[in-house]
This record gives sequence, structure tokens and C-alpha cells, in this order.
Amino acid sequence: MKHFEYFSAHSAEEAVALLQKYSPDALPIAGGTELLVRMKQNLIHPKVLVDITHVPEFQGIALTEDGLRIGSLVTHAEVAASPLVRQYAPAVAAASGSVGAVQTRNLGTLGGNLVSCVPSIDSAPALLVLEAQAVVFGVNGRRQFPLTELFVGPRCSSLTPAELLEAVIIPRHNLGKPACFSKFGRRKALTIALVNAAACVETNPERTHFSQVRLALGAVAPTPIRAYTAEAYLAGKPVAQEVLLEAGRLAAEDAKPIDDFRASAEYRRHLIGVLTRRVIEGALAGMPKV
Amino acid sequence: MAFTIKVKVNGEWKTADVEPEMTLLELLREQWGLTGTKLGCDEGDCGACTVLFDGKPVNSCLVLAVRADGHDVVTVEGLGTAERPHPLQSAFEQHGAVQCGFCAPGMLISAKALLDANPEPAEQEIREALAGNLCRCTGYTKIVEAVKSAGRAMRSSVK
Repeated sequence: MKHFEYFSAHSAEEAVALLQKYSPDALPIAGGTELLVRMKQNLIHPKVLVDITHVPEFQGIALTEDGLRIGSLVTHAEVAASPLVRQYAPAVAAASGSVGAVQTRNLGTLGGNLVSCVPSIDSAPALLVLEAQAVVFGVNGRRQFPLTELFVGPRCSSLTPAELLEAVIIPRHNLGKPACFSKFGRRKALTIALVNAAACVETNPERTHFSQVRLALGAVAPTPIRAYTAEAYLAGKPVAQEVLLEAGRLAAEDAKPIDDFRASAEYRRHLIGVLTRRVIEGALAGMPKV
Repeated sequence: MAFTIKVKVNGEWKTADVEPEMTLLELLREQWGLTGTKLGCDEGDCGACTVLFDGKPVNSCLVLAVRADGHDVVTVEGLGTAERPHPLQSAFEQHGAVQCGFCAPGMLISAKALLDANPEPAEQEIREALAGNLCRCTGYTKIVEAVKSAGRAMRSSVK
């Protein structure tokens, strides 16, 4: 790696002040599992790294008035093992548990995964279907917005260079809702998703008809996306195989998959159909028995 | 600017002056001569550089040395010696789980972390714990068997 200056910030204010002072040559570093690889590959050469791992405001998992707050510095291993996340948002725990391998999950953070804005990030779909909010800290204080608005394009977030993701909040009204995450890669572990997906499913009390379904997909568009056409179609439809097949077909139309060395666009469209069915069926299976 | 850091390595506090761009892997191998930890892909894919960082397995190629200041690091040299091998090391030897040997230090560290947290892992749990360690001799079966056997040996020695 090329030489850089290193600062360790001990508060959110200090971190953003350092980033602003050395902008545009400074980058924040948390787990480093993405950033250091890109530096070693000579893709980026920051002159200054601001280590944010000791910023207390970005730590911890807590149930608050707003919902379930997960600090951006919480590692994938901590998200996956958290009793709070497993109880109130098990799909989010499953998604974090599918990232990389044990070693990656012990270093990599939820916030780092999200702000990387790589289209295939595994942490996005489950948070999107639970309508998570992003809390962002900058020199002018905090702002909060729907997590969907964080994702602008491949490796491009809506954060300014002196802003940091502080936390995500899963709103209280979505805690414990039946949701499911699924990922398809070339192997079972340590793999980048060819397609990943999540669904949050609500039905009528008899479980015969969908009332509201939220569906999100990754690795099939420039950003993680919600499949709005498929969602609109599902509202009010009977819980039936042909409905799930049609939802999968519509979800594939919501996406814009590309051909690359990992998979063809055609194969990814096929996978969208398969994963759409899997995550909806998974969410239904997770509902308490009537 | 170099940073002076203190790291607890295999139970012993050591100090070093490190540049910000030095990785923990480079510090271990090049400054402290702990060459049991291997440099493989240098990108966090192969697991050959796995060490325990505060008890948890991490890829030391993706940890800046300066980040290790004040932390506890265990390398394969901290597991056992030729005279007094760790039960995992004995099991790897008995089961022929070491072919070229390059992945073995990382495998041993990942397996130690697993057995420390879960003394009686199922085969699937062993495979998941070792998923971040690649063996290019393709000898996973014997490695998994060795970890199972070491778990049994460690449980019986505790009783």
C-alpha cells in the first residue's frame, strides 16, 4: 500500500472535522475489509485515513422509541449474533450472517457494507423491505432519510465526503414483521451474490391473500432496489404458486441485470424469479401458526 | 509519521514502531519473525493470514498494524510447540490434514476459535467456521475430521 497519514477519531464531531479538513484526500476507515483491498489493488490512493472505529456514537444495537437502531460500526458477526436483531429483524441477522466468511464478518461493519454502495451488498435488501432509515452525521449535524436514498449508483452514495453513516433504524412498526433474506452465489460461503433478495410479507388473518408485500433485490441493478411493480401486483392477490411466478416475472422486469464474468443477465433474471418465490415463501413460513 | 504500538502477542506484550500503511500481517512476519502466519492472497479471500484478534479470527492482511495497539493477538506460534502441540495440531498430524501445509496455520487458528466457542461442533458448523480458509490441495475432508477429533480429545481431557 502507498503511504498515507492516519488519524483515529474519538467522537463523531472529530471524525467529520478531520474528513473535512483533509477533503478531498481523506477517507474514513472502519473494518477495512473493502477499503484496504481497494488500496492494495491500487484502485484508490487516499492521502489520509480517518479511523472511526472508536467513535462511540456509531456503536451498539438498541431498541429505541423510533425502532431498532443498529450503529454503523456494528460488525456483521455482531448483527448476526445479536439477540435483539434475531428477535425483531431475523432477516437482517440472516443477511449479515451471509456476508463473506467468519474472518470478514468479524472485521466488516454494517455501515461500511452499506456505504460501499456495491450493488450486490448483502445487508441492503432485508433493511430495504423493513423500510430502514439512515442516520447520517455531518459537520452540520444529523439528518435522517430512507435508506433507499443512500444508494445512488455502483460505489456511489448520497453522502458528502465529510458525512458519515451513523446508524440505521428499522422503524418500530416493522419490528417482528415476517421477512426473509436469501442469496444465491457460486458457492455457499465467501461469495458475492449473483442475486440476493428479501421480502416482508403481510396477509389477511386467514393467510389466503397478500395484503402488502415489500420486495427488494440486489446485484441486478446499479443499486439495491425495491421491486415496486411486483409489490403492487401482489397486494390483494391470493397466496398461490401462479401468483408467486407472476411476481417473480414482474420483479425481473423491475431489475436491470447486466452480463458480467459472474453470470449473464438472462441467468440473473431467472434467479430473480426463483429468489422472489423463495423469500416470499420463507416469510410466510416464518409466520406464527394460525 | 510512525506510531509506537503495544500488542499482546501470544500472551506477551511487544512494542513496535509502525508506519500507518503496515498491516498486522507484515508486523508479525517481518518485524517480529512470526512467519507461521502466511501471506496468501493479501485481499482477505484465502484465510492463510488468519490470527485471533481479541479472541476472534480475522484476516491479518486486512488489519492495519496501528489498529492492533492495545489488543490481544494469537498466532499459530501461540497454539503449541513441537514438544507440546495443541490437540488441534496433533489431530491435524494424525489425520493427514496437512498436505503442502500453507493453509494449515490459518485453518488451525479458525478451528481454535470455533472449538473455544463451541466445543462440540456439528460437521456443518466446522465447515462454516473454515469457509474463509482455502486449501488448494483440496484436502478439506481430512481437515474437518481432524477438527472433530480434536474437539473430542479436548472434551475428554477437560472431564
